[in-house]
Amino acid sequence: MDSYSIKTLDELKEFLYRAMQLEHATIPPYLTALYSIKPGANQDATQVLRVIVVEEMLHLTIAANILNAIGGKPDLVRPDFVARYPAALPDGETDFKVGIQAFGREALATFLKIERPAQRPEHLVGKGLIYRKTPPDITALASHPRHEDFHFYSIGEFYSAIAEGIKYLEAEAHGAGTTIFTGDGSRQITSEYYYSGGGELFPVTDLKSALEAIELIIEQGEGDGGGIYEDDDHELAHYYRFEELVKGRYYQKGDQPGQPTGPHLQVDWEGAYPIKENLKVEDIFEGSELREAAIAFNTRYGEFLQLLTRAFNGQPSLLLEAVPMMFEFRNMILELIRNPLPKHPGKNGSPTYQIPGGIKQPAVTRQAEVNA
Amino acid sequence: MTSRFEPFLGLSAELTAFSHFDLLGTGLAETYLATLDKVVGGEITDALLAAFTALPPPESKARIQAVRTTILGNELLGDVARALIKLWYSGTWFELSSAWSERFGPRPANITFVVSPDAYIEGLLWKAIGAHPAGAKGQGFGSWAFPPKIPAFAPALDFQNLT
Repeated sequence: MDSYSIKTLDELKEFLYRAMQLEHATIPPYLTALYSIKPGANQDATQVLRVIVVEEMLHLTIAANILNAIGGKPDLVRPDFVARYPAALPDGETDFKVGIQAFGREALATFLKIERPAQRPEHLVGKGLIYRKTPPDITALASHPRHEDFHFYSIGEFYSAIAEGIKYLEAEAHGAGTTIFTGDGSRQITSEYYYSGGGELFPVTDLKSALEAIELIIEQGEGDGGGIYEDDDHELAHYYRFEELVKGRYYQKGDQPGQPTGPHLQVDWEGAYPIKENLKVEDIFEGSELREAAIAFNTRYGEFLQLLTRAFNGQPSLLLEAVPMMFEFRNMILELIRNPLPKHPGKNGSPTYQIPGGIKQPAVTRQAEVNA
Repeated sequence: MTSRFEPFLGLSAELTAFSHFDLLGTGLAETYLATLDKVVGGEITDALLAAFTALPPPESKARIQAVRTTILGNELLGDVARALIKLWYSGTWFELSSAWSERFGPRPANITFVVSPDAYIEGLLWKAIGAHPAGAKGQGFGSWAFPPKIPAFAPALDFQNLT
């Protein structure tokens, strides 16, 4: 066990909070790219992005379930919950940021990096975390709460650390005749409250279900051990779905990674509105309707996160109210994206995802540290 | 194109009582200008835009009066303006009356047609009544369990004065 391993329950809770933050952080980029596609264009890409964004919402909910299972309190309104874009993701050796941008080659290149398979190249196996100083204005996602400048190689590695932590702490608790799974079962989100949301949502109540939950997140994202398809339902992992778009060809059974041999598909690289990348409210001409609409969207999104927080803290039925809200977002985002950005010729508006109160705080004042 | 687009947007905002942002948010403004050109021709479209540009300054009583007399009450432009309102609200171009065609000459493209599937979906009427278009822009599973949201509109225009 190295010094980066999870050793306390509070630390595990902080990791799971960061897992939720990470899962959420993929949603604005995917959602924006999805809605940037012009009507009638890129139907394959639209389908891929829609499926993936819904699965990311599932992952967010699964992470909340695990956190609830060990007696934690999911908090989506904590000031640093929503990433400031562009945000840094676990990225191996090279610098890599995820931002808000229109659908296109650049966006797809980023999405492939988000979902890339977890395995390290041989020369990095067993080398520990990767050191890189994160500038203070950058949200470092899936980072280590105690070692902000040490990064996991991939999201898969981040989740493996969580899985190891759960196993370690549960074995320790078991030795003392108890368990870490002391959470109130009524706080679990199950399919009853979560309609058709990208996969099965099961309650997390013990070690087995917790590890299964983590496994599901990893499999849907990057595939199972480098495989193209998830084991159970022959569903293509996110990484390979995006790769199909880049390569203009579908995968079929028996294909090797990187070499799809199925039917061709069409991608219209011009078939998206030219939104300004990582737009901020401050960049939008003051007094313009676009600025008001961007602020209105942020406010509404903040209300949405409040609602989710309540739903994840004992009122799961509130999730039913979140559904129409998400459809409302679609309409609001489409309007922002179709409007030209004043004083930026050739560029269109975009949601900015600057959530009221969502200002990055110094990362050191975490509960895990206080209690350590 | 651009020199006509701004007046077209301004005219459309005046006629529909929706804001520029709302109109651009449909993604159809350019398509509708092209529709107007296609159906009634560039000359009449230009005459309509010129009539709009010549209106007295916004927010004056005289402006509303002028919209009525120089656009909606104008023999040539009135029917076209009303068809444009209906186009924005429903996504459908409604054929101009036979009286208009007899007076100003028939136009081959002047038939009732839906501009595009998106035009139907983005019709302002849905927004105006706080509903979603039947068969599109669904509001999500279980949304019918919640009360409808009727949007509040910023410009308090007096519709009676316009028609």
